[in-house]
Amino acid sequence: MIEVDGVHKRFGALHVLRGISVKVERGEVVVVIGPSGSGKSTLLRTINLLVQPDEGRILIDGVHVNRRDVRPEWVRQQVGMVFQSFNLFTHLTALDNVVLGLVRVKKVPRENAERKARQLLARVGLAEKERAYPAELSGGQQQRVAIARALALDPKAMLFDEPTSALDPEYIREVLDVMTNLAKDGMTMVVVSHEMGFASSVAKRILFMDAGLILEEGVPEEIFQRPKHERTRSFVGKILR
Amino acid sequence: METAQARRTRRREPVLTRRAAAHVGEMAVGGLALILILQAVFRFSILDGTFWFYYFRFFRTGLFGTLGYVAFIIPVSALVGFLTGWARVSRHRVLVWPAAVFVDFFRGIPQLIMIIFAFLFAPDFIPQPIMDRLFANVPLRDISVNAAAFVLALHSGAYQAEIFRAGFQSVPKGQLEAAQALGMRGWQSMRDVVLPQALRLSLPPLGNEFAVVIKDTSLLAAIAGAELFGKSTDFRGVLAISGFPLTWMFAVLTVIALIYFFMTFTVTRILLVLERRYSTPGLEAMSI
Repeated sequence: MIEVDGVHKRFGALHVLRGISVKVERGEVVVVIGPSGSGKSTLLRTINLLVQPDEGRILIDGVHVNRRDVRPEWVRQQVGMVFQSFNLFTHLTALDNVVLGLVRVKKVPRENAERKARQLLARVGLAEKERAYPAELSGGQQQRVAIARALALDPKAMLFDEPTSALDPEYIREVLDVMTNLAKDGMTMVVVSHEMGFASSVAKRILFMDAGLILEEGVPEEIFQRPKHERTRSFVGKILR
Repeated sequence: METAQARRTRRREPVLTRRAAAHVGEMAVGGLALILILQAVFRFSILDGTFWFYYFRFFRTGLFGTLGYVAFIIPVSALVGFLTGWARVSRHRVLVWPAAVFVDFFRGIPQLIMIIFAFLFAPDFIPQPIMDRLFANVPLRDISVNAAAFVLALHSGAYQAEIFRAGFQSVPKGQLEAAQALGMRGWQSMRDVVLPQALRLSLPPLGNEFAVVIKDTSLLAAIAGAELFGKSTDFRGVLAISGFPLTWMFAVLTVIALIYFFMTFTVTRILLVLERRYSTPGLEAMSI
């Protein structure tokens, strides 16, 4: 489904990704953990080409997408993204946030787009909030709208960049519930998150990144209970405490 | 369930006190204007038929001149300002620095000097082929005066560029990223995401700048542009040689002051209406 093959990325002198290779199967949920600055977000952003890799290949459904003749806009329609800071369009209502991509990118007629957007808002439990502006919603509600917005384009996979780390504790549950349901429905997901409960119960694999490399990967149990690397052990120890 | 509408109204409540303060301000302005008008009516000759018989010609020319300049300068300066402000936040270096030079240049030189400069030398600066092709039948004086008005528009455009730049820059980067992540093209995310927010944020300072440039048209008097203030000084010249009372100038200045006030008031009100019309929770100016 998603294949990252030998990807390098430098920002000036900073070598952020130092040869990353990952394969994510269809319907698989992969959680990426690691200290800040380890390149987790950058890895996620190379997958939908918000960041262009300097070296290496990204394949979506077997299609090599980081080539000049592939439009990044097309790639981004295939892979939805949810941001840490929600990034809902401030000037649009919840409904219009979900509608915009459908109308502009998929060229769906407004009426059909609204119908679909309402279904998606209902799916994330926000049917009654369609007329609210982002500033009128709680963080958890905003993030759920953001998930609905990304789902609107029927992506083949979803990327979550620390979706709950900007949330007040009381709102984390509702967002994780939506994500868990999504995983149950068979969505392919790559999630950067330190929510251990979510990672243990939903993730099929955990990747531990450090200094631009995937240092260790395995099923949650392995990584959390019997990490092989000293770095993994010390990091897991810190976040489990 | 509390509707968004209800919540918005509730949030506006504290504004009532500010609105009351604004009303006090407006009343004070109105009071001053009233004193001026009463003075003009009772002590000077604003209602005097003879006064208007002589002044009216100057007044009419001046009024239409001023309205013409305003109608020309506001759209031109707004367009120049918008494009320059946009260029200043562009990814493309070739656009950024010419825009920056433009802004620094026009912001750093007094309008009056630029106006006189343009008036005196504009015909010399326009290349001969263009002169021949476009302005062959235009009197040189008209070219000079319009060049001066254009320079005034550029001057205001430089200020408006900074307003629009601030508007663009106050749209968080995440908004653009979210649009990109949805697969929107560059121009789509500009049109549907960045512009609507940037323009909302630009409206309040823009109203201010429009008020400034409306009053700045009076500087065109320096080059005998046919506008309210210039025509009033012409009229003063007539008074001086014809034996009519110089106190008539009180009435003249009152009239043109009121007209400038009326114009700036109207334009700022229009922008205020736009501001309210497009107000969105989360995008309003902060109340401190």
